[in-house]
Amino acid sequence: MNLLKFSRGGVSPLHSEHEGKTLTEKKPVVELPAGKTVSIPMVQNLGAPCRPVVTVGQEVGVGEVIGEPLGFVAAPVHASVSGKVIAVRDLLHVNGKLLPHVIIENDGEYRVNSALKAHTWEEVAALSPEALGKIVLDAGIVGAGGATFPTHVKLSIPADKKVDMLVINGAECEPFLTADYRLMLEQSQDVIDGIRLLMQILSPDKALIGIEDNKPKAIEAMQQAGKGVPGVQVCVMRTKYPQGSEKQLIEACTGRQVPSGKLPADAGCVVVNVGTCAAVADAVLRGMPMVSRITTVTGAVREPKNVRVRIGTSFSEAIDFCGGYEGDVKKLISGGPMMGVTQFDDGVHIVKGTSGILVLNAGYANYPDESSCLHCGKCVYACPMGLMPLKIDLWSRKKNWEMAEDYLAMNCIECGSCSYVCPSKRHIVQGIRLAKAEIGRIRREKAAKQKEGGK
Amino acid sequence: MEQAKFVASSSPHVRGRQTVQSIMLDVCIALLPSALFALYRFGAYSWAVLFSCVAGSMITEWACNKLMKKPNSLKDLSAVVTGLMLGMCCPPTVPLWLPFVGGVFAIGIVKMPFGGLGHNFLNPALAARAFLLASWPSMMTTWSNAVDAVSGATPLEAYKLGQPAGYSDLLFGHVDGSIGEVCKIALLVGAAYLIIRKVINLNTPVGFVVGVAGFAWIFGGYGGLFTGDPLYALLSGGALMGAFFMCNDYTTSPCTPAGQFLMGLLAGILTGVIRRFGAYVEGVTYAILFLNVCTPLIDRYIRPKAFGEGKAK
Amino acid sequence: MKFKSIVKNGIITENPTFRLVLGTCPTIAVSTSAANGLGMGLAATFVLLGSNLVISLLRNFIPDKVRIPAFVVIIASFVTIVELLMKAFLPALNESLGIFIPLIVVNCIILARAEAFASKNGPIASAADGIFMGLGFTMSLVIISSIREILGAGTWFGAQVLGASFQPATMFAQAPGGFIVFGFYIAAANLIVGYFEKRKGAKA
Repeated sequence: MNLLKFSRGGVSPLHSEHEGKTLTEKKPVVELPAGKTVSIPMVQNLGAPCRPVVTVGQEVGVGEVIGEPLGFVAAPVHASVSGKVIAVRDLLHVNGKLLPHVIIENDGEYRVNSALKAHTWEEVAALSPEALGKIVLDAGIVGAGGATFPTHVKLSIPADKKVDMLVINGAECEPFLTADYRLMLEQSQDVIDGIRLLMQILSPDKALIGIEDNKPKAIEAMQQAGKGVPGVQVCVMRTKYPQGSEKQLIEACTGRQVPSGKLPADAGCVVVNVGTCAAVADAVLRGMPMVSRITTVTGAVREPKNVRVRIGTSFSEAIDFCGGYEGDVKKLISGGPMMGVTQFDDGVHIVKGTSGILVLNAGYANYPDESSCLHCGKCVYACPMGLMPLKIDLWSRKKNWEMAEDYLAMNCIECGSCSYVCPSKRHIVQGIRLAKAEIGRIRREKAAKQKEGGK
Repeated sequence: MEQAKFVASSSPHVRGRQTVQSIMLDVCIALLPSALFALYRFGAYSWAVLFSCVAGSMITEWACNKLMKKPNSLKDLSAVVTGLMLGMCCPPTVPLWLPFVGGVFAIGIVKMPFGGLGHNFLNPALAARAFLLASWPSMMTTWSNAVDAVSGATPLEAYKLGQPAGYSDLLFGHVDGSIGEVCKIALLVGAAYLIIRKVINLNTPVGFVVGVAGFAWIFGGYGGLFTGDPLYALLSGGALMGAFFMCNDYTTSPCTPAGQFLMGLLAGILTGVIRRFGAYVEGVTYAILFLNVCTPLIDRYIRPKAFGEGKAK
Repeated sequence: MKFKSIVKNGIITENPTFRLVLGTCPTIAVSTSAANGLGMGLAATFVLLGSNLVISLLRNFIPDKVRIPAFVVIIASFVTIVELLMKAFLPALNESLGIFIPLIVVNCIILARAEAFASKNGPIASAADGIFMGLGFTMSLVIISSIREILGAGTWFGAQVLGASFQPATMFAQAPGGFIVFGFYIAAANLIVGYFEKRKGAKA
């Protein structure tokens, strides 16, 4: 079979060590009962935060809005359990900051908010794309792959752009994570329903589901479920990291390259994660907003599992549910090992973008000492964006941000392939991130100055 | 807040298995077939030469680190590789102090003063060879005391004299030459190992081979254009050693695919020019050293095409 | 200006070779043997002394706009004197230094001292500056050329010093050797001077 792949770079992390996926890939998704309280962060998406709209002491039902967005690029936050709001206060968030959380005492009844409304397919057929988009917005759906970009923003295509391809991301290229894989196996019909709904909003020519060839069962399940739905097609891709990155996925599935510095819509594509599709189906057909998600709890825990968790459950509860830590644990990561964010504390809470909770023990979690750059060029070969990571890192360390920008630092997607292959174990991505932050700051300063000058 | 129990760091949290040490070890292993052949063909003395080289470079590396108050870098094995490479391009008859001095020069003058591994601008082994060749030219070009040698001429000298050696002799190393360069089969086995282990890629070697063979074919003959013998050019002298082990030295070659090919090609062509028109019979060393110096320039102007640049829908 | 500081300037703090890195062309080209280095250094010292003295005396008469040509004419006169003297009395040395004797005319050190010192200071100070700058240059040349001669030929001022069994590394007598020794000389000299200056700074 001719497998699809993006054109350049990429690595195969831990391939010889079965990618870590075997830990959980055969484990069906189990429901993780919510604890006595859940703490729901008001920041769960890229873009603007939410403003809490409930008061302490107020009774809420499952799916009731507790946070309203403060901007267009944001999605509302809903209660994931029913019960009484006992506090609104700042807690540690997975992004490492202290941010407001709404703490709800779980009454264990899971009373569903009566305002929620399910739609039948007949009702859906009568809805306009705008009305469907509104449902997606109201359901607080954000990209479930981890980037948490609000989905309704993706679906609002500017009038001057034409989207003819809907690309569904089922690549799950991060080692260890199997949440999307289990979702595709167990809820393939939901995913397909979601795709149908999204197609109704965007009316693309085709919907391509990209799945890597290391998940043959998921491919089969999706092909089966997608049969008879016009325009839906499963694309089998070669297993290669970072296949699940938006731009790489588009190239693998459609052969188009998103122009540098532009959005997928500029290449006529919209990319949506399989988890997001299922969430869309939930929201429209069952009326349930995004209040839970499937997460892989894996690594150095006694019983690695795929769990369906309610948003706002703490990491420690999830880990306890999976038998607790095993051995000498050193790192707690929200997400996968390549792009996940390390946590200081397991008291943080699961958000809409938590695709995995990965615990690494001392053997894995070493922070290797750097040696000099050998100039071997392995990072240049590995970079899926066609950059020269070693040069950007070099200039970043010299604090020469102009040269870093000249070497296209801003194109970096921070996939970590360069750091992964580096034989000198240099922390290349770290250097590039610093350069990106500094370049961004300089650009903003310049823009602000120009504005002032204009006045 | 309670004491943090987890380590926080920037992603990625897993790293590949390849390390500097593993790469250097692979290179040593790849040189083993050639070394074994040398043992068979030139006897134990050839190993003494190799050992002397390695000793020279390791002792110097240790001393330089002490002197510069840097952590000991012997365990990354790069000094061993440098020593071995240098030993491989010495004749099997040199007095034992000479490779030792070469090792000292390679590390103490070419590598460490510029900052050690990753910072040298010339290939230390080749620079040391050039030094030895310039300092003791007669010792560095005395090949013959091999058992079945017909004459004291290397294949390249023989070609210039109009009495070329046979291909199979070249391939299996029944000719005179440097310790590690005579047996092409052994070199190719080593190169194949490096490619399988993903230590080297083929860009530079292919460029070099194309450069040497193409130039030899077009200009190398003495009967006009296109009368040269490209295969002979590849199989004689240090061409294959240069292509697979010297030219693609990480630090002193470009890091982009196109740049690597270009460097190999230019080095190959320059080798041909020196062989055909220069005063020296062999030009691999000088050609590669010259391109080493050009490497920063190549890296500056040849960049990979970034994703999404120029290929808009 | 104090005499002591002129001496220190010429030999160490503004040593033309390892501090100002001037006159590198003759430094590398003629430092193949200690005798050559010494001869070149002394010839340059003589020219420096003469030109500094004369330029200092004439400093108030030379119009600013044509000072460089005037300096060059003065320097060239002294170079001619040196060249003729050498031809007459040291023909062998003259032969081995070759073109580099006439090239002293355009040696940066001499022009630099004329411009930076002699044209602003009195004749006695200028003469002293010329002598010690010259001696600083000579010192560097002798050190570099000694290293190169010993390593490259096994001799020092022509006398065998390393025994007959020593196989000289002829590269040190060639240009690459010159560059290498020159580089290490600059590094070593700056290291030593820096060490003493730091110690002095710590004391004070």
